[in-house]
Amino acid sequence: MEILMSILAGILFATGVYLLLQRQLLKIIFGTALLSHGAHLFILTMGKLNRGAPPILVEGIEDYVDPLPQALILTSIVISFGVTSFLLVLAYRAYKTNQTDNMEHLRGNDHE
Amino acid sequence: MSNLVILPILIPLLAGAILVFWRKKLMVVRVGAQLVTIINLIVSSYMAYVILQDGPLILETGGWMAPYGIILVGDGLSIVLVVTTNIIAVASAFYAPNSLDKGREEHYFYTFFLMLIAGVSGAFLTGDIFNLFVFFEVLLMASYGMIVLGGTKEQLRESIKYVLLNLFSSILFVTTVSFLYSVTGTINMAQLSERVGQVNQDGILTTIAILFFVVFATKGALFPLYFWMPHSYTKPPAVISALFGALLTKVGIYSILRVFTLIFIGNIDYTHTFFIFLAGFTLLFGVAGALSTNNIKLIIAYNIIPAIGFMVMGIGIFTDLSVAGAVYYLIHDMIIKAALFFLVGAIAIAAGTSDLRKISGLIKHYPLLGWLFFIACITLAGIPPFSGFIGKLLLLKSAFANENFIVAGIGLLASLLILISVIRIFVQGFWGESMSLPTEKRSIKPLYFPISFLLFFSILLGVGAEWFLPHIQQIGVDLMNPSGYVDAVLKE
Amino acid sequence: MLFFSILAPFIAACLVPFLFRYKRTIHTGWLVLPIPILLFLYFLLQIPNISGGNNIHLIINWIPSIGMNLSFYLDGLSLLFTLLITGIGTLVVLYSIYYLNKKEKLHNFYVFLMIFMGAMLGVVLSDNVFVLYLFWEFTSLSSFLLIGYWYHRERSRYGAFKSMIITVFGGLSMLGGLILLTIMTDTTSIREMIESKESVINSPYFTGTLLLILLGAFTKSAQFPFHIWLPDAMEAPTPVSAFLHSATMVKAGIYLSARLFLLFGGSDLFFILVTGFGLLTLCWGSYMAVRQTDLKAILAYSTISQLGMIMAMIGFGTEVAIFAAIFHIFNHATFKGSLFMIAGIVDHESGTRDIRKLGGLMTLMPISATLALFGTFSMAGVPLPFLNGFLSKEMFFKTATQISPTAPLVDQLFIIIPVLAVLGSIFTFVYSMYFFFQTFMGKSKETLEIKPHEAPIGMLVSPIVLVTFIVVIGLLPNLINEPILAPATAAVFGTVPEEHIAFWHGEINTPLLMSLAVVVLGTLLYLTRKKWSHVYRLLPGVLSANKAYDAVYEGHLRLSRKTTNMYMTGSLRHYVLYILLFLVASGGITLVVTDGFAFSTSDVAPISWPEIMVGIVMAIAAIATVFMQNRIAAILVLGVVGYGLSLLFVFFRAPDLALTQLIVETVTVALFLLCFYHLPKLDTKKQSTGTKTVNILISASVGILVTLVAIASHSSKRFETIAHYFIDESHHLGGGDNVVNVILVDMRGLDTMFEITVLGLAALGIYAMIRLRKEEEID
Repeated sequence: MEILMSILAGILFATGVYLLLQRQLLKIIFGTALLSHGAHLFILTMGKLNRGAPPILVEGIEDYVDPLPQALILTSIVISFGVTSFLLVLAYRAYKTNQTDNMEHLRGNDHE
Repeated sequence: MSNLVILPILIPLLAGAILVFWRKKLMVVRVGAQLVTIINLIVSSYMAYVILQDGPLILETGGWMAPYGIILVGDGLSIVLVVTTNIIAVASAFYAPNSLDKGREEHYFYTFFLMLIAGVSGAFLTGDIFNLFVFFEVLLMASYGMIVLGGTKEQLRESIKYVLLNLFSSILFVTTVSFLYSVTGTINMAQLSERVGQVNQDGILTTIAILFFVVFATKGALFPLYFWMPHSYTKPPAVISALFGALLTKVGIYSILRVFTLIFIGNIDYTHTFFIFLAGFTLLFGVAGALSTNNIKLIIAYNIIPAIGFMVMGIGIFTDLSVAGAVYYLIHDMIIKAALFFLVGAIAIAAGTSDLRKISGLIKHYPLLGWLFFIACITLAGIPPFSGFIGKLLLLKSAFANENFIVAGIGLLASLLILISVIRIFVQGFWGESMSLPTEKRSIKPLYFPISFLLFFSILLGVGAEWFLPHIQQIGVDLMNPSGYVDAVLKE
Repeated sequence: MLFFSILAPFIAACLVPFLFRYKRTIHTGWLVLPIPILLFLYFLLQIPNISGGNNIHLIINWIPSIGMNLSFYLDGLSLLFTLLITGIGTLVVLYSIYYLNKKEKLHNFYVFLMIFMGAMLGVVLSDNVFVLYLFWEFTSLSSFLLIGYWYHRERSRYGAFKSMIITVFGGLSMLGGLILLTIMTDTTSIREMIESKESVINSPYFTGTLLLILLGAFTKSAQFPFHIWLPDAMEAPTPVSAFLHSATMVKAGIYLSARLFLLFGGSDLFFILVTGFGLLTLCWGSYMAVRQTDLKAILAYSTISQLGMIMAMIGFGTEVAIFAAIFHIFNHATFKGSLFMIAGIVDHESGTRDIRKLGGLMTLMPISATLALFGTFSMAGVPLPFLNGFLSKEMFFKTATQISPTAPLVDQLFIIIPVLAVLGSIFTFVYSMYFFFQTFMGKSKETLEIKPHEAPIGMLVSPIVLVTFIVVIGLLPNLINEPILAPATAAVFGTVPEEHIAFWHGEINTPLLMSLAVVVLGTLLYLTRKKWSHVYRLLPGVLSANKAYDAVYEGHLRLSRKTTNMYMTGSLRHYVLYILLFLVASGGITLVVTDGFAFSTSDVAPISWPEIMVGIVMAIAAIATVFMQNRIAAILVLGVVGYGLSLLFVFFRAPDLALTQLIVETVTVALFLLCFYHLPKLDTKKQSTGTKTVNILISASVGILVTLVAIASHSSKRFETIAHYFIDESHHLGGGDNVVNVILVDMRGLDTMFEITVLGLAALGIYAMIRLRKEEEID
């Protein structure tokens, strides 16, 4: 199962990266969302999957899945949520100010 | 156990949060920020005194023992960098009110600023690799807040690139942490050092090490990963550029230094040789960038890169001497980069432009500014007795002693080119016929204090090198023998 | 005291700006003048000590951790230089008082001058190589500032910049050599290096070290082809030219070669390089001097050629040659210093230095003319018993015929050494005559704007003193032999020379014949110079090192601009592409090289179909986002991936995650929807196939790389994770049964605290971004 999940996360990464290489800001932001999904899936997969009960202690159960990756993912999810929201507003402001959401038009080297 | 360790993180964090509530009372906020940074400098200097006397200070946060809880480790390297950070913080707190506009100040500049300091200090102090990621995010989020602050066209344009590239490397960071956790079963850096050592850092660990390197090198602006940096660093106001140039990239370098002296030292023939190779290119391409432009802020921003090259060269050579040299150079570079950004910021205010082709003859009206800039230039270029020389000497000596002649030669050549790139500003901007100065502008007089404050430390680091060098050399020795760090954390 | 002697000029430099401010009525020069006088007297008083063999040594610890200590050593060689520095320094300061107008930025001038004097004393007194380097660079920097003293002039800036680039370049190269020396000998003291000479000579780095150090010496002492900065340095005020650019700073390279002679002197390479470049410089400099029309330019090239001559003598490496070199260092300072001052006087009093506009000044400026006569004739080496220049020039000829070559190659070539020596001297004779006769004899021209008149006496004092030296030493050369020249030679060569200087050796020998040949041929060439003028124009043409410098300077700027613009395209896609390429290349290569890939299914969870199904749906949805043309559809498809992920979290026993992911995903989708109102429609424009292929290739490789590393990481679990602790201790130490929660709020509470900080910052950032919209501002 871990192997398959790794491949799935890999696919999420690949599509995320592909979108990151696009011109349009919205697509690029989609890419980052896919990338963080991929990353979170990786973290979970890297703990052992499915070997035990959810990490909520119950009398009598000895085996639980690794709780640490879950804690890390939670932290990471919240952080990426913060960054993504910020990025969305930034994209909106940049579009309003620069009148384009095409990153190829936002090179800006002619100023030098 | 010592709760002292968390203070450099906690003080700016709390202060930054409190200042949010007084955003309209600018006087309170300014003086508050200044006081907080000064207090923080005093606290961290005291910590440095304790640590350099008695060895590392460890804090197991929440009382959870290592390696399970998050451990803060104040060792020599961490603490000198925290002190340096706070020196820059004090200078910035005095530079900002006299250079920023009211709008930016009211929109939480000081909160972002203090949070940035908290994040940077945290990154230096943490002994947990996931927690390092979290502190990275804190300082990055603070930097995002700063880089867009004001929202001018160019600023927004470059911020997007900045945020996206950092976001990507953060995602890669957290992914790589999970790989490392899978192999070693831990995220405590001391335990990682132990465990990676136990399996002799086999192939997969070396690969993970390289992934970490890519992450940190992207943050640290190493060739060929720095392309996002120069333009995005120069668009916001000078004080923000200074904070970025002095602190952000250096956190990346610190991470490389830490991770590749503590954890991944099992295959140095491969990894560290690779670093030397990249260091050479970083030196050359960085300095080429600095020579390629007439924008004075950009010239300084590009000059961040060859300095990174010098440090990575020291990490790559990997001897007591070279690592000590890298640390010395790191401290020097943090201070002088902040000073240079402050200086060009002042020049831009005085001349009303950052285009070198439009500036000339400033020295007639601003002799003090000119000479301060001149001193900063030769400090940057590593002319003795200023601070750049000491670190460079250690680095070059170790390069020659290890027969890395090519990179040593590149280092010498780069020193010359660095000098050319900045002295151009002096020759063209300060010499020459007097230009007509802008009629309406702020006074730059109050800016002299923070600039001189930084240059004072820069000169002190050079002339008074003997006060610091033995400690730095000890840090070099300690870094090369990670068992001390590991024992301090795991066997308290 | 020795230490204080170096410090004194620096202290003076610090005080000058304050004195200048309070004492505007007095010319600042008067305030500065006591410093060089006192120092000169101090060093004069050391003569008996030094010639008696009691060298002075002083060490003050500075940075012992890197062996950088203030170690000063006064021996014969240093003494000679200190006397020159302080002696000429005194005369130059005196001269400058009359030369520079009180209205100028005199404080700057004297600050730089004092820094230079201190630095130059430091160079010749330092026994520690790093301290030597420090002072060496300080001479370069003060020279830079002095050349750029009249900074509003384009030529001054150009000259200052050029001189700094070339000398700092040499300085850095020298630093490399010095570092190698410290590695070989494990000391930073020059004297200790010379003591452990064996380890240097037998080192594999010997050649490299020698080359690096000589590069430093050659650039500083303006040896061909690095001489080009010196003529441009003539933009400096004339007192500076007389002091730095003829008498002292340019001799620092010679000093260095002499100082390290005992270390390198025995090697063939040293002989070939130093002699070769010395002679080349001698000929080239004197040849170029003939072509010049500016008085100072003539003197500049003349200085280059004389420096070459001294360098060559050090290269010869015999005892007599070293002695002659030392002697000529001294003589050159006297006649060249005086000639610079005369050139300055002519410029000052007639308003031009262009020799074509000058003539017949003899009658108007008789004293200056007389002084110039002595200076030029001494420089030309005219055989008269009262000119010191002839004495050392003849010794030069003598040594040129006497060298005993050791290298086989040199054996063939050494016959041309005397020929080159004579050739260079002929040109020297020509330009010396040209300088004197063209300026002072003949008819006076009417083209001058001001009527020239004799300079004030204050200005004449300094050249008079120097010319007195020319004559006195010409008549009684052995006056300075015992006290100064012999100890200096001893310091360089190691043994005390038994040389006796004489005008007439009692016979007609080869050197005398060579001298006569120079006079005869030189006179002929001078008299017929009009016919040769077109020949002089042939060289250097394209060979000019100046053109090379300009080309290199412009070229490296252009190259920098070109390379930088090549990759700094400003395009986000490019930046991402570079990072990804680097990631894939370095990560992929490492995985292969270190054989890090592993694949094992021994420790995996069983495959279950519901999870697979969700996974497949997610994969399809992810790929679909790439092709979506419609914004809402794209956002919804993206939502599918997110909700799928929370479903997976449920399957994989992570209830807290699932819940959080669900909430976050919902809010994110809502945000996306909110945002898309404001952003334009998705771009349906097709990308070029090339771009597309690259994108697909690179993103596929990134995906494959991370997947492989993930599989390998998972297949190489080497250790028990630390997770058991959390499960064991959560209940009774953490006081909670939900382990993930306990970890978050307690064990890793710090993470959570800062995660909230990040959220808070994001909120503040968003607020500030929306509220604060600044107009474009000056950049």
